[in-house]
Amino acid sequence: MDGQPSGSGEIRLVNVTKTFGDMDAVKSIDLVIPHGSYCCLVGPSGCGKTTILRMIAGHETPTSGEIHIGEQMVVGLKPVQRGTAMMFQSYALFPHLSVLDNVAFYLKMRDVAKAERRQRAREMLERVQLDHLAERMPAMLSGGQQQRVALARALITNPRVLLLDEPLSALDEFLRLRMRGELKSLQNELGITFVHVTHTQPEAIALADMVVVMDHGRIDQADTARHIFSRPATPYVARFMGGQNVLSGIVTETSGGVLAIADASGPTYAASASGTMPAVGTPMSFVVRRDRIALTKGASAAAGEVNAVNGRVIATEYQGTYVKVTLDVASREAFVANIGDDTYFADPLRVGDEVTARWATADVHVLERADTGAAIDPYAEDAA
Amino acid sequence: MKSNRLLTYLQVTPLFLVLLLFVIVPLALVLIVSFFRYQMLVGLVPDFTFKNYIDLLSNPTSYKLYFSTIKFTLIVLAITGVLGFWVAYFLVFHVRNLLVAIGLFLVCTVPFWTSNIIRMISWRPVLGTEGLINTALLESGLVGEPISWLLFSDFAVIVAYVHLFTLFMIVPIFNAMARIDKALLEAAVDAGATRWGVVWNVVLPLSKTGIALGAVFVVTLVMGDFFVVAVMSGGLSGSATSGIFNDLQFLNYPRAAANAVVLLIIVLLIATAIFRLVDVRKELVR
Repeated sequence: MDGQPSGSGEIRLVNVTKTFGDMDAVKSIDLVIPHGSYCCLVGPSGCGKTTILRMIAGHETPTSGEIHIGEQMVVGLKPVQRGTAMMFQSYALFPHLSVLDNVAFYLKMRDVAKAERRQRAREMLERVQLDHLAERMPAMLSGGQQQRVALARALITNPRVLLLDEPLSALDEFLRLRMRGELKSLQNELGITFVHVTHTQPEAIALADMVVVMDHGRIDQADTARHIFSRPATPYVARFMGGQNVLSGIVTETSGGVLAIADASGPTYAASASGTMPAVGTPMSFVVRRDRIALTKGASAAAGEVNAVNGRVIATEYQGTYVKVTLDVASREAFVANIGDDTYFADPLRVGDEVTARWATADVHVLERADTGAAIDPYAEDAA
Repeated sequence: MKSNRLLTYLQVTPLFLVLLLFVIVPLALVLIVSFFRYQMLVGLVPDFTFKNYIDLLSNPTSYKLYFSTIKFTLIVLAITGVLGFWVAYFLVFHVRNLLVAIGLFLVCTVPFWTSNIIRMISWRPVLGTEGLINTALLESGLVGEPISWLLFSDFAVIVAYVHLFTLFMIVPIFNAMARIDKALLEAAVDAGATRWGVVWNVVLPLSKTGIALGAVFVVTLVMGDFFVVAVMSGGLSGSATSGIFNDLQFLNYPRAAANAVVLLIIVLLIATAIFRLVDVRKELVR
């Protein structure tokens, strides 16, 4: 349609680096986003996720490396030649044009006759259920409506890749959840590749087939949402995505596929090793999911008991289906247990109570990289 | 509530007094004097006569002067508009470093670091028959004899006007452009707009306020000038204001006042037309 590149929306980044002045925004990244997938780039602000999106869109040129979309090497091509469309964070609607003319802008640039472009823009507006607002100016629309206009303006280019720069950040919580669902079903319906930049972890997990967690211009982990959440690769990913307790120690024994790990502050842990056995004496980090922790009252963990830590309750937070219990344990950071509401309210805890947290060896996931022990990273206390 | 109202009036009073003293009273005086009678050797004689206006409107010279003024205004408006737009465009969208942009902006103000007279006299060594341009053309053999219309001509007047007034176009356009969200330009490129398409469809419509304000500045400055036209044309051209100036020299204040009123009406009409085209007030609150 309209002679633009069709076909595969697979995106391949090969050794892409982007430098601004003497600062590396993106450091030699390799990434493959499969055709027709919903990919979320997630990370704190300044981690380079938006730069990657803008390089795919063609609004930024990589300092080195290659970007391929489908069969095409797209570095140096204009956005329309790439078959990408971008939805901007502030929506970037043209304030001097009506909703209809905003959507028809692409067709106007292609010299489509006025009657036809108005007709096609109207059809696109019907699709996002905004045809009744076609003659309004963007300033007269609500945030959610503006976003739909931006979406319609992007989709009318018939792209093979839709790039979304924090599309939901300007909306209130209720609208955000609704638009989230709509984006996902839209992607299912269109079957094109969506690349979505966000700094909100639940958004990434809810939407994405593929989550790419970034930090300081590097990709920490790129995997399915389920793997990112339950089998994080690094302490950073575990803390950033939340829902995990990160623990560290030194390997003291390896036997029968089980590692024994000792924490300098006392407790010992067991974990089943995957892949190669680490040598005795290596520092090791692992995670235990918060919802896999069992609590019993009283500091009952005996010396030498594995996967049991004593702690004191410092906060409890009711979350509806579960209660988030924060414990002060001997390790550096707070330890969190999410206890099902029925279980919790059968025998509620109070701040200051001594408790023991226990978990099964099977619920321990060993991280690829040990915690450096440097300053506690800012995501240690997650937002979830 | 009552005292509140009083407070509001008190707050408005200083501005009102300034406007009354420096705008309303002088204008009223000019209007009144324009109906007075002029008597040789006596000067002003209070009266209510339309003679000054009839004199003015029945005199072919005043039509010639007004025609020449409006011609200069339109030509200067077109040139400063194009220059101002592109200079502002360059400063806002192509200079990424704010410091460099401020530096270049200051460079634009360099002509204003010296007095008006010196600025105009300085054109003589450039445009004169033995000036820089003519010497260069002669030496390179492009022309056989010096081009005479470079100085003391309408051309010279326009050069001086453009030199003096382009900044008044740049500043408001720069201000309007600086408020354009850069993402809009990217969105336009994303939708397949060429560089020219972005300028025509996005930057130009969103700079309209600046262009309108700049146009009002330039129109009022050119229409109100008699000095540049006199110096740069060598007395060959005149402007509406130079008619007023001449009347003042002969102490014919009533006719000068009548001329001023007519000029004011024309300038106001042009300004109204400009503001009709662009709703500046709406854009300013944006």
